[in-house]
Amino acid sequence: MRNIYLIFRRDYLGYVKAWGFWLSLAAVPALMLIGSTFALFAVQSAPVRYYTVIEPGRVFAEAIDAEFARNEAADIAEKMQIPAGAMDAGAMQAFSDRKFLEVPAPARDLDSLRPFLLGEKLVSGPAGDKPLFAAFILSEDGKSLEYWSDDVNIKSLRFEARDAMRRLARTHALEAAGLSPDFIQAADDAAVQVPERRIRSVVEQESAGNEVTLADRAPVFVAGGMAYFLWLMVFSIIQYLLMGTIEERSNKIFDTLLTSVRMPELLAGKLLAVFAVTSTMMLVWGLFALTGSAVLATRVPGAGDLITPFLAAAASPQILVPGMISFLLGYIMYGMIFMALGSLCDTIQEAQTLLSPMMILLMLPMFAIFIAFQDPGSPVVDIAAWIPLFTPFLLILRMPHDPPMWEVLAQMGLMLVTMLAVLWGSVRVYRAGAVNGASVGDLGKMLKGMFGKKPA
Amino acid sequence: MAHSPLVMTNVTKRFGAFTAVDNLSLDVPEGAIIGFLGPNGAGKSTSLRMALGVIPADAGEVRLFGEAPNILALRRVGFLPEERGLYKKMTTRDTIAYFARLKGLSASDAKARANELLETTGLSEFKATRVSKLSKGMAQKVQILSTLAHRPDFLILDEPFSGLDPVNQQVLEDLIRAEHDRGATILFSTHVMEHAERLCDRIVMMARGRKVFDGTLPEAFATLEEGASLNVEEGFDLAAALAPKGFEAQRAAGRGHGDAWRIVLPKGKGAQDALRAAIEAGAPIMGFAPDEARLRDVFVSLVGEAEAAALDAPLTESREEGALAE
Repeated sequence: MRNIYLIFRRDYLGYVKAWGFWLSLAAVPALMLIGSTFALFAVQSAPVRYYTVIEPGRVFAEAIDAEFARNEAADIAEKMQIPAGAMDAGAMQAFSDRKFLEVPAPARDLDSLRPFLLGEKLVSGPAGDKPLFAAFILSEDGKSLEYWSDDVNIKSLRFEARDAMRRLARTHALEAAGLSPDFIQAADDAAVQVPERRIRSVVEQESAGNEVTLADRAPVFVAGGMAYFLWLMVFSIIQYLLMGTIEERSNKIFDTLLTSVRMPELLAGKLLAVFAVTSTMMLVWGLFALTGSAVLATRVPGAGDLITPFLAAAASPQILVPGMISFLLGYIMYGMIFMALGSLCDTIQEAQTLLSPMMILLMLPMFAIFIAFQDPGSPVVDIAAWIPLFTPFLLILRMPHDPPMWEVLAQMGLMLVTMLAVLWGSVRVYRAGAVNGASVGDLGKMLKGMFGKKPA
Repeated sequence: MAHSPLVMTNVTKRFGAFTAVDNLSLDVPEGAIIGFLGPNGAGKSTSLRMALGVIPADAGEVRLFGEAPNILALRRVGFLPEERGLYKKMTTRDTIAYFARLKGLSASDAKARANELLETTGLSEFKATRVSKLSKGMAQKVQILSTLAHRPDFLILDEPFSGLDPVNQQVLEDLIRAEHDRGATILFSTHVMEHAERLCDRIVMMARGRKVFDGTLPEAFATLEEGASLNVEEGFDLAAALAPKGFEAQRAAGRGHGDAWRIVLPKGKGAQDALRAAIEAGAPIMGFAPDEARLRDVFVSLVGEAEAAALDAPLTESREEGALAE
């Protein structure tokens, strides 16, 4: 244990004394701050865009405007958690933040509108002079409202218009059938609602009720976060383990070390050091996030209610226990692979040739994480969770969806067996690289190192 | 019962088809200074790595302080590998203290010992200097100090003099003598015979993986045919003059004045006997010198001139040769 501690301590201090560590430590909170500020700024600073509607009257223009108003009212009501329609028009106006505004048409035909749509000419509107973002032009037969724009990637305006047209057609049809607009509105309001309910056991339902709350969704996000966290950790240890091992190999220090400590002590110390380095980073980042959350909870009304379910989910044994096991086994498994490969490299250039396949190897679980996040019941996820290299990530993600216990235990067992096999092989590859001087290309030598007689 | 620091019995190591060490037996008794001599690729480093358990032997047995090499036995050993290496970002003092701690010293003892060693070798002003900032020779001294820091009972030094300038070679020789005086057993490999002549009380010679000699320096010199060099006036036939007196004289490459001759001394006869015989035979003597035998000559006599020429080759990584062969 003493030797493990000494190896661990030297490596850990070596890493944390490097300026790159402090840069990484500061980079994530800085990026979080910059990113959230940027995201907030991006939302708030989304430009106001103008559109116009070319039609004989104002029927379609008003329908689109009404659709915008209706959706905006629903959004505001949901955010403020008040019933739809509870807010009067004045209050609505105060909260309104419309990003698409209708302006009078500067011309009546497409050719004349073209310079405005292409930004060569500007139109005047409530937000000043701007190019015309889009124009709806009613076709001659009146059967289509063509959407013209220079930017076809932003589709929300067209979708709003499409919904407005459907609602308008329905209203016209009903009016033609002799129904009054008030009657139609009343019929709409009387439609059967489809509220979301969470099925629970009778006992649970007595205490937790059946409403769907953030607490029901939080475990999925927490599990996703943990899976991504593990992935990020594995991704970040590549450089530490590869570079650390390459440094020792190029410094020709193995013989000195191996006459002072046992090989397993050396490997354990090094693995622990990198684990501690990344844990230190994660701890600092976690504290930063917690502090930020605490500040938000005290300063922003309602923020505490948002944060608590996530903290509760993170602390729940259903996620925490499999999460920790997956985390530990996954870390050792990947850590040993990278350390063993690093022992085969003399230079960073050599290591770079290994990095590409490793990146691909690491991208595969990332895809699986993405699929699992979208649809945890997907057969792809079910199958991928049995592949030990993916299990650490996917098992965590599946936990909120209550997979069968036998599957959880079997996958953990498989992961453990694989981890032990990787440990066995990696120690031998490491020995081949560190002691026998095997390199990436020396497969025969590496195999001899792996299966050769073990030194005393 | 105290065990010899190192006993190797019929040890063999192969890398593929290449036999790096062939049936080596070696006994290093307590308190000895033994030179492990031979040219590059002779199998010296491979033997030392097997002695320490860094690599396993394919056949034979290695006993370190009476046990198979293990981490506890290795704590009594200080090893300077042929491939020098230190952590470049560590300071000299931290480096020495770190390796001392790995060998079992406490943190305070290790630090004190590092300070003491740096002080006695005149490096104390560099104690806070990173290894990367040191010259190659100075870094090598730091590594040697790291090897000595835990006061080992047995020092194994693989080519310790390579890379050192003559002044530092002398410093290292003094250090080795001091360690020996302290009671340490010392085994060092070298391909420079002069170091062994000055330091060792016993030598082991290796060539092509095989031990070709194991004995004391006098025993090594005794393997040589003794002789003397004699210069006489040009034209004098020394061979004919000395033959009746039982001495064989051969023409040698010209050195000094007149004709150079080399006299082979029969058993029981010394150089002075040869000189007396030459005077009695009326030889016009212009110069005389008894043979000054060197270890290199011993090695030449044992393995031949071609093999011995490898002694003069620059030091290369014999481990690499082994690794490639593997």
